[in-house]
Amino acid sequence: MLLALLDQLGGKVLEIITETGDFVTVSGRGFLAIFKRPFDGRSFLYQLSAVGVNSIPVVVLTSLAVSMVFAVQLSYGFKQFQAEGLAAQVEGLAMVRELAPVITGLMMAGRVGAAMAAELGTMQVTEQIDALECLATDPVHYLFVPRLLASAVMMPLLTGLAIFFGYLGGYTLLVAVQGQSAYVYGQDFYKLVSGRDLTIALTKGLVFGLIIALVGCWRGYRTRGGAEGVGNAPTSSVVTSSLWILIADFFLTKLLLV
Amino acid sequence: MPVIDVVNLSKSFGKKVVLDGVNLSVQEGESLVVLGGSGSGKTVLLRCILGLFRPETGHVTIEGKIIQDLDRVQLAEARKNIGMCFQMAALFDSMSVEENVGFALMRHTDMTKEERAARVEECLNMVGLKDTQKLRPSELSGGMKRRVGFARAIALKPKILLFDEPTTGLDPVMTDVIGRIILDLKHKLGVTSITITHDLKSAFEIGDRIAMLFRGRCLAVEEPEAFKVNPHPVIQQFLRGDAEGPFLEDPPPPPSVKRSPSHPIATA
Repeated sequence: MLLALLDQLGGKVLEIITETGDFVTVSGRGFLAIFKRPFDGRSFLYQLSAVGVNSIPVVVLTSLAVSMVFAVQLSYGFKQFQAEGLAAQVEGLAMVRELAPVITGLMMAGRVGAAMAAELGTMQVTEQIDALECLATDPVHYLFVPRLLASAVMMPLLTGLAIFFGYLGGYTLLVAVQGQSAYVYGQDFYKLVSGRDLTIALTKGLVFGLIIALVGCWRGYRTRGGAEGVGNAPTSSVVTSSLWILIADFFLTKLLLV
Repeated sequence: MPVIDVVNLSKSFGKKVVLDGVNLSVQEGESLVVLGGSGSGKTVLLRCILGLFRPETGHVTIEGKIIQDLDRVQLAEARKNIGMCFQMAALFDSMSVEENVGFALMRHTDMTKEERAARVEECLNMVGLKDTQKLRPSELSGGMKRRVGFARAIALKPKILLFDEPTTGLDPVMTDVIGRIILDLKHKLGVTSITITHDLKSAFEIGDRIAMLFRGRCLAVEEPEAFKVNPHPVIQQFLRGDAEGPFLEDPPPPPSVKRSPSHPIATA
């Protein structure tokens, strides 16, 4: 009984180590492939659109919703201490440092990472990735690089967009609904925020973008088992990249804020 | 020296042994047909030849180079000389027919757009698909997809062509068309080829020699006429297409009703 349990546990640990090793190896190949030629400019442009432009509505709506709910909570909370004026300051700090990059990262993991995993997974089970190999084309170079670069470029931009719409969401709630001064809101939103905070937010966006692209592509690339495998790849990609986004967020905050 | 030399090749997945010490060699310009039942290791053999699978023992030599010893860059170079036609064509579904056929030309040659278009047209003409450049794979029938796959495989003018069950799932007429195209490519291009098929009619038309894989082992490699009269019971059962015999691991249950010539199933 105990031996069987240990055996099972050992098997799981070995599986995790093997998967981690494979992810690191494939990711390393992906990064090295950035410098290889030929560079597929058309695919890169298409991915810029798929990852970035097509994600704008999702990012805008999410950012507006989160910032408005957060403003309601802050306004209600600070009202207990007759300190409603602090709501805009804390709103700004929270949006720039945490909410905008993390919410954008999680939404993109669901939208873009899952799409990458599903697309590459389908290519894998329909032998299209084998066909690339047979046409003397490294699939990691051809498929990973445009997605990786597009995510790295677009995620910081989308994070910036999320901050801007976070500002508008807070403005709508605190100024338009609750009647705070627009001038004071404008001043207070950035009061506790420094240029470094913006750099941290964009850096987080970049790192989250890399995580999303690498995990999505890797999960798709390693898809096995037909329709079931293709079905599992996006789910697994979203869960894994969301988890890594939250873990990376903690370490980035710890490292960059000190 | 053979162009393709498969030496003592063994490959297993977990406990399942798929290839067990297979030896084959194909001379320049020769067309080898590999026959065998489903799950006998034919596709795995092709994948080992291409370097997509790494065998446990043995090796594959292509033009004197051991495929399993090549690094990624060398393997890509070696693959430029090999055209692979997949069982279900494996066309890139995000691209048009023209982009599919011209894919390798765009990545591995310095051809201008016009030169590429001319070569794509030439390849499509060779497989009997004129004016299909703008179509998407989803707009093609099964037979057309296979032919686009052939055109894509020959675009770089490879010295070796590998066909993985090119006629599976096609109607008898299209099966014959595909068989003729393979024969035509063989004569026009003079390539060395390995064709995996279940279709005996085209196998005997295409093959200079015929090999039979059974449970991971190569039972025979011989010229078509000699193969037809090979006394091995598995080969004879395969050629007859009979359910009774040593071919199946789990033999079918005995028929509960003895069929007479007037029986509806027998006459259907």
